[in-house]
Amino acid sequence: MITKAIKKTWLALFASALLLVTGCAADAELDTLQPQGPTARDIDKLLDPVLIIAYVVFFLVFGATIFIWWKFRDRHEDEVFPTQVHGNTKLEILWTIIPTLILAVVSVFTLITLSSVNSTETNKVMVTVEEESVLWEPEVVVVGQQWWWEFRYYFDGLDGVDLSDARNLPPADIVTAGQLVMPTGQEIELSITSRDVIHSFWIPALNGKRDAAPGRVHPWKLEADEPGVYFGQCTEFCGLSHSRMRMQAIALEPEDFQTWVDQQLTDQDSDLITDEAVARGLTVFENQCARCHVVNGVNDETSIGADLVSNAAPNLTHFMSRTTYAGGIFNLYEPDGTIDRTQLEAWIRNAPAEKPAYAEGRRGMPALGLSEDEIDDVVAYLETLGAPPSSFIIQATEVE
Amino acid sequence: MTDTMSEETSTEEQRPLGVYTRPKGGNGWRDWVTTVDHKKIGILYGAAALFFFIIGGIEALLIRLQLATPNGTVLGADMYNQVFTMHGITMIFLAAMPLAAAFANYLIPLQIGARDVAFPRLNAMSFWVFLAGGIFINLSWLLGGAPDGGWFGYAPNSGVVFSPSVGMDFYAIGLQITGIASLVSAINLTVTILNMRAPGMTLFKMPVLTWMLFVVQLLLVFAMPVIAVALFLLMFSRQFGANFFNTEMGADPLLWQHLFWIFGHPEVYILILPSFGIISEVIPTFSRKPIFGYDFMVFSGIAIGFMGWGVWAHHMFASGIGPLSVAAFSLSTMFIAVPTGVKILNWIATMWGGRIKFSAPMLFSVGVISMFTIGGLSGVTHALSPADTQQTDTYYVVAHFHYVIFGGIIFGLFAGLYFWWPKVFGHMLDEKMGKINFWVMLVGFNMTFGPMHVLGLQGMSRRIDTYSPGFGFEAWNMVATIGSFIIALSVLIFLINVVVSVKRAKGQPPCPPDPWDARSLEWMTPNPTPEHNFDEIPTVESLDEFWHRKWGTDEEGQIVRVATAEEVCQDGTATGVHLPSPSYWPLIFAIGLPFLGLGLIFNLWLTLPGAILIVTSLYAWIFEPVDDPDGPHGEHHADEKEVSEEASDV
Repeated sequence: MITKAIKKTWLALFASALLLVTGCAADAELDTLQPQGPTARDIDKLLDPVLIIAYVVFFLVFGATIFIWWKFRDRHEDEVFPTQVHGNTKLEILWTIIPTLILAVVSVFTLITLSSVNSTETNKVMVTVEEESVLWEPEVVVVGQQWWWEFRYYFDGLDGVDLSDARNLPPADIVTAGQLVMPTGQEIELSITSRDVIHSFWIPALNGKRDAAPGRVHPWKLEADEPGVYFGQCTEFCGLSHSRMRMQAIALEPEDFQTWVDQQLTDQDSDLITDEAVARGLTVFENQCARCHVVNGVNDETSIGADLVSNAAPNLTHFMSRTTYAGGIFNLYEPDGTIDRTQLEAWIRNAPAEKPAYAEGRRGMPALGLSEDEIDDVVAYLETLGAPPSSFIIQATEVE
Repeated sequence: MTDTMSEETSTEEQRPLGVYTRPKGGNGWRDWVTTVDHKKIGILYGAAALFFFIIGGIEALLIRLQLATPNGTVLGADMYNQVFTMHGITMIFLAAMPLAAAFANYLIPLQIGARDVAFPRLNAMSFWVFLAGGIFINLSWLLGGAPDGGWFGYAPNSGVVFSPSVGMDFYAIGLQITGIASLVSAINLTVTILNMRAPGMTLFKMPVLTWMLFVVQLLLVFAMPVIAVALFLLMFSRQFGANFFNTEMGADPLLWQHLFWIFGHPEVYILILPSFGIISEVIPTFSRKPIFGYDFMVFSGIAIGFMGWGVWAHHMFASGIGPLSVAAFSLSTMFIAVPTGVKILNWIATMWGGRIKFSAPMLFSVGVISMFTIGGLSGVTHALSPADTQQTDTYYVVAHFHYVIFGGIIFGLFAGLYFWWPKVFGHMLDEKMGKINFWVMLVGFNMTFGPMHVLGLQGMSRRIDTYSPGFGFEAWNMVATIGSFIIALSVLIFLINVVVSVKRAKGQPPCPPDPWDARSLEWMTPNPTPEHNFDEIPTVESLDEFWHRKWGTDEEGQIVRVATAEEVCQDGTATGVHLPSPSYWPLIFAIGLPFLGLGLIFNLWLTLPGAILIVTSLYAWIFEPVDDPDGPHGEHHADEKEVSEEASDV
């Protein structure tokens, strides 16, 4: 009976072992064993052989235990004793040295990988900013706050940019939220910081995680081989909605990235509004939303009136160019490219009901008490903010 | 030793002002609240730890229910954060540590041939203070919300802006209180081990368990002050607006992380070494062989104790401490695997060639070897710091440390419960139910925590109250939840076993003194251990003294019995043994501490009764007479049992 149970356990363990080594389910967007960029691949190459060594060691120990079970079991019904062995110094020294040597070898590879994931190797990227060509050192400032991520692009480089006070950052060329957009085949340098508590920025397909800590700027990097949407999740416990603080890295072909930059650099021109609902929506936005949110051309970061703990709310200038909102937890579009209006309206109607937050504690979006007409108008206005992304991104954002 | 002072010679007038009589031992509940007997205190620790283990287990089941399906709604986000925080705090500080303390208190004096610990009243104080701290932290459920910042309480999220409920105040002050208990107990047991060993028991004749517990006490002595400092900083930040973690004033949030993990990593070894010690007693006994490589076992334990101080920042590989620090801690973490690996190989070598009886304690011990190995190996993958940046704060880490803490510690403590139960209570636990208990727990444990390896590598974050469908998390989370209820079933089987065995033993004579053919000194006393432990302090000549008194070798080198266990064991009937008298003051002192905490949190006036209790109890403690002048004061004589039974009948 029991030996049968052991056999079964063994088989189950072996099966799960195979599962681990060969990588897991294909639909796991956050899978750490399916690297899509050189840094993640370096990490994976370090881990895989060690996992195999670990399995070998485990099966040796487990096998020895099973063997002992089978060979040395006894019911003690007599007073016969086995040979009394008190130890064997040579043997013990041997099995101290062997694991030390194995670990020494593993250490060498660990240090090599550690050095490679911490080295930087960037090529400047030619970006057209307002019809002028700029050689951009591809750097993105990543700012975490409860419970969403902001990404800031400074095309003149970060040399003169003071990041020491994340709650009062200098104006950037592009400010976006929830989705970090980057060119493929190019190492992007990140400067990660936080406006309130500690968060952790993690795109498993591209790199490990790095904490975003207030008062500190942590360097990190991302590089994607292919265009795509790479999922991430805040991984340092950051309070109430920690589980609802998600993000994506969107890698685009360099020419598509340029298109995206061009679009993002365009401010909103409210004078062009002709639709009445949109105009009413703008009024609601200016009276209500603009206390926290920025739309370039309507207001700017210095004009934020609300006293927020993080001193920031997502910049909405090109809201429609993103596929998620509210900390990356809702999809803006249906897979067919139409807007998921119901969810968006529910969010504007009563945000704390959709995502736990301490709005009264100045953290998270409050319920504004807008009328249904006002909500419709605001949605109409939001729909004018930026151009929808390509359908490939919209579909890739769907996880189900 | 002095004899009983007759009641006539001691009167109220002869006592200086403020000196109170000491309570008499041996009448029902009052005996338990005033006891200074290390064995009773050990039992109290065990009972309290099991109680909190069940509370922490219920919290674990709530967590698993919430995560069984995507978008779970069993607990809200706020409640979930409180529950997982309290699960960690409860299991580490209120279940695993005190359960290890139960074994330390009960067994250290017996294993070294002493009649009690060095400072019996202090020992009682440690227990009551621990219990007061445990109750205090759990009071937060009723008084405005439990801690919600994680057991690790990272700043600045633990600050008053981000955690406005009183939960983190209870965390800061409650853990400070339990910390006092651990620190005091550690000093007490260190002194006991160093000074109270029986004649002939040199340090290197101590059982491996006592050695491991000795290392643990030294770790506690140095680790508890670090967390005390961190908790004071947090308390001052929250209560008095200090800026230790206020980043807007230039504070570095990594200060807390360093302080917490300089305590937190030795804490891991504080938790695991007692279990290593327990199975180092169990495995030789059931293999009928001495421990393989005693010196290696002891020195690897000491090595773990030392190296445990140099690995804390492996909890911070993603914190941004810089590649040089990461490299250094990566290497130190890598090599702490060596002494641990040595232990596993030595246990296997102890079993190898033995004649092994797989009784319940042995099953749990073998469970430790194989399950802890899994936890140790996943630990090595964390030492690969670049890979750790993929694993840290995912379920892979949750799987890792549960294989260490549950697979390594809880299995080991259960081995100890089954092994020493007859020693403590004078009757055996049911063997068949014990085996069922083990197999059910093994299956449930692997079903719960095995899948978490996969979940973590698939990218499921820790400490998330919910997850979306579509990331491939659904199936394994459901398996884990089912597994957790199987664990609950196994704990239930244990409790039923206790009830059934206690009932069965009622009215029966206590079990014979040596049910397992054991090896160390504690088995030289009858079961259950008499109040005075040893009739006569034995003179120790070798490691495994008790075994060597039973067995010798003949001319051909064959092992032959030289004496039966009954002949070797003392009969526990000594009279005239002087024992420390019971005292109320340790309990009164402990009751004062939560009032200080409540006062700091709610209203400073509440500190007044706390201060009065503490000052009074300390004063009375210092001046109370060595013995109660009015009574037979814990002096053990043959008819005491009858006396106490009469008293409890009344």
